[in-house]
Amino acid sequence: MRFIFKFPDIGEGISEGKILNWYIKKGRQVKSGEAIVKMETDKVVTDIPSPHDGVIAAIFGNEGDVINVGDPLVEIEIEGAEGKIAQKIAKEEPEAMSKETVDEKSFGVVGSLEVAGDAARLPAGDEGLPPKPEEVPRRKALATPVARAMAGDLNIDIGKVRGTGPAGRVMKQDIRDYYENLQKGELKVTPAAAAAQPGVLPVEYTPLTQIRKTIARNMSRSKQNAAHMTVFEDVEVSELVKLRAKYKEQFSQAGLKFSYMPFILKAVAAALTHHPDLNSELDLENNRLIYKKYYHIGIAVDTDNGLVVPVVRDVDKRSIRDLTAGIAALAEKARERKLSLEDFKDGTFTVTNYGSIAGTYGVPVINYPQAAILGSGRIMKVPLVKGDEIVIGQVLPLSMSVDHRIVDGGAAARFILEVKAYLQDPVSLFLE
Amino acid sequence: MIEIRKYDLPDARLLESNCDDAELLVWTPPFFCIVMGQSGKAAEALHVETVKKDKIPVYKRPSGGETVVLSGHTLVISYLKKNEPLRSPKLYFNRYNEKIIAALRGLGVEHLSRAGISDICIESKKILGSSIYRDKDTLLYHAVLNISETAENIGKYLKHPAREPGYRQGRPHRDFVTSLTDRGYDLNPKLIRSIILKKWAEDEKFDQKL
Repeated sequence: MRFIFKFPDIGEGISEGKILNWYIKKGRQVKSGEAIVKMETDKVVTDIPSPHDGVIAAIFGNEGDVINVGDPLVEIEIEGAEGKIAQKIAKEEPEAMSKETVDEKSFGVVGSLEVAGDAARLPAGDEGLPPKPEEVPRRKALATPVARAMAGDLNIDIGKVRGTGPAGRVMKQDIRDYYENLQKGELKVTPAAAAAQPGVLPVEYTPLTQIRKTIARNMSRSKQNAAHMTVFEDVEVSELVKLRAKYKEQFSQAGLKFSYMPFILKAVAAALTHHPDLNSELDLENNRLIYKKYYHIGIAVDTDNGLVVPVVRDVDKRSIRDLTAGIAALAEKARERKLSLEDFKDGTFTVTNYGSIAGTYGVPVINYPQAAILGSGRIMKVPLVKGDEIVIGQVLPLSMSVDHRIVDGGAAARFILEVKAYLQDPVSLFLE
Repeated sequence: MIEIRKYDLPDARLLESNCDDAELLVWTPPFFCIVMGQSGKAAEALHVETVKKDKIPVYKRPSGGETVVLSGHTLVISYLKKNEPLRSPKLYFNRYNEKIIAALRGLGVEHLSRAGISDICIESKKILGSSIYRDKDTLLYHAVLNISETAENIGKYLKHPAREPGYRQGRPHRDFVTSLTDRGYDLNPKLIRSIILKKWAEDEKFDQKL
């Protein structure tokens, strides 16, 4: 009988480790407890002992390889498989091992095969840890070796997967289906199911999507590291509204939706050239500021899947028409989830237009490690005092958060006033 | 290219010692140096040019973990235990880091807690990191306590690590690392050392090395 020994969680809660060196070779006899490989994880270099007596039938991975917890380490031909040793193993490890008899194309395995279950691990101590609630023992899921390996690779708890094979055995297609549903965020505990349990309040558990994890991480990082300070300003944009109205149809005929965003980007880029602190990054590791001599501005795009911030490159060098086309292309890619890593790289400043949905003012969170973010609210008709008269004007509310470690209050005010001046007199943008 | 020196700092001899049971060494590094984990790579872990320019010695220790700075402003706790069955590293990290926490609490240091796999924090800032080397029956626990080394000195030579504990949340060294002095504790290293030795002795038998 053959036994596949997988890289166990050595009790750190780590997910991967590096093979430092093998002590054994294929064909070598090993004793239970004998070190077979030296592994390095985040904090530990340790020998991993063989769990059984036997002969090494296969070694998986080379020295220097990084492998995941649950990946096969070695395959051991256990002596007297049908005899005493096998019986002893089966008796000692009913939860950690299962006999797989369902064929599924995988690694050319023939015959019956035992694999270490997901429960296989070196004994972990509980010292110093809070007492755990009593755990309900769970029956090990029936699954094919391929399905089990796939589940391990994808970090899926195979016990949660509904098997469609013989006797409810989990097949590889079941893992694929489960994983796809996880990705789509379709796996939830329904309120109805929760409510069916007495004393349990109805909640839904939805796995975090990758995008939500990234948003959460970035927002926390920004709030923990930057010293946020926000300034607000109203901009009278009646001229800009007229300009847009005049050319809207022309853009429309070219298949372009003419928005205010390209003007805001141009105004920001023009002001940044005169206020380099707002286009910089604090490098505390080396006690310096990094001034960026390019103006790549991120635009926050609201999608069905969450907020993304693709970057419009070289804003200072591009025309309003070119920016309009560029923004539309990025927004479409964002909504179709086709943005690549390149589309997110190298932003120096961010603009978020929450006014397109609702809202006048906000306190935007800096896209760390950038120095500032500008939020634009909804343009509103308001009564304005011009000379001694009250007239109806169009006002764009702006909110800008800066990293106060880099940008002083006066500098922030001067910058937003310059942006305001460009937007009040948009023709001036073409004179820059 | 950076020359990686053979690990010959004071605790190197622990692994070569003939002790039958256990040895504890609590020591102050004699000079400023950098120690990388077993498979650390200089180009990935260090600001190589700065390290070379300042002629900082670089070593590679037998245990795992990320790269650390050692200096006269740090205190190193090295504990070797022989004939120790192979058990979860977490057990040892918890056991020994709790001893250090208890020792520091006894000296009046507040808001201490374990964090990540093997760190000790004051509030959310790291004050100690530890790592383990072990073979079939030998355990070597190794921890570096920051008494008064500046985060600037650490960030000057060490890059942001490729892997980080969840609680670090991308923070640069300056926002992540702290020292006892930083937190307003003016404690004599010799006093800290003696309290750690005393705490260890409460339930461990060992040969004490000065």
